[in-house]
Amino acid sequence: MVNEVTVAMAQMPALIPKEVEIQRLKKIWLIVIAMGSTAASVEVDNFVDGSLHQTSIRDSAFTPAHWWLYSHFVALPLGWGAVAIYDRRVPILRGPNNSMNTGLKMTILGYLATMFTIGVNEMWHFWFVEEIFAVPNHWMFNMGVVVAFMGALAYVVRVYARLVELGAETPGENPYVAEMYKMALEGKLYSRSIP
Amino acid sequence: MTLPKGFGSAGGGGGTSADVERMIGRRVENMTGMITLSYLAAWLATFGGTAAGYFYYPWAYPTPSGHYAFIVLTIVEAIGYIFCVKVMEEGTRKNSNGIVAATIAGTAVGTVLISLYVGN
Repeated sequence: MVNEVTVAMAQMPALIPKEVEIQRLKKIWLIVIAMGSTAASVEVDNFVDGSLHQTSIRDSAFTPAHWWLYSHFVALPLGWGAVAIYDRRVPILRGPNNSMNTGLKMTILGYLATMFTIGVNEMWHFWFVEEIFAVPNHWMFNMGVVVAFMGALAYVVRVYARLVELGAETPGENPYVAEMYKMALEGKLYSRSIP
Repeated sequence: MTLPKGFGSAGGGGGTSADVERMIGRRVENMTGMITLSYLAAWLATFGGTAAGYFYYPWAYPTPSGHYAFIVLTIVEAIGYIFCVKVMEEGTRKNSNGIVAATIAGTAVGTVLISLYVGN
């Protein structure tokens, strides 16, 4: 059953030995899991930060909730940058015109936006010592994270789909999920015009 | 198969298993020790971070709240740790269930003890 589904998927040319490719994809997978755990932990910090801002508004930029939040906004662009460097060794993950994978580009740009928003945010709070969620300086944090998540989803699904195609992971049984993997391998998960 | 530049014998031809090994470097299934140390470091850093909250900012971070965050984060990290080790070893003959079980049990007991006895 597993082989049947694998054979039905688009077969991409093997440019490096299969075993080498599986090992490299799994090393990328390791970094992604570590960053996923970090991102999940920051979901807790969102509540910690919100709790602090409801009690003390904004006493200082240097509170534990901010150390945690801001350090992750620096760690994740660097981590995804490390993925981008290692990613060059896996031909299937190349983007259009042999450039960086589109999903990876979106992720790095999204998190870079959040990283620079730390500075924008501190400038704003130099004059306005409030913590209203909807003020403009907070917009780019949220938009950056959303862009980064969208790109990361496209990239991670593509890595997983290739592991399925190489027989290193179990394919999804749901035909709609299998179709999504197939689209990901063809670089068409989100749009047929953006490979 | 044709290998990338710098691998295999000169003048084309196939690569040997030694070439494949050289392209791989350290195999992911042999990284369990490093993954385990990373998990323990992350767990200790989580303790340090939450402790900084309730020792230095007790008016903003009550100790039970810090312990709650510590417990939730330990669970998040443990899931990531198990996922890392199991995915890296799947499809191989390697099995580190004992190491994983001992590490998870150790951090679980440590988390309970810290939550009971550390803090204001």
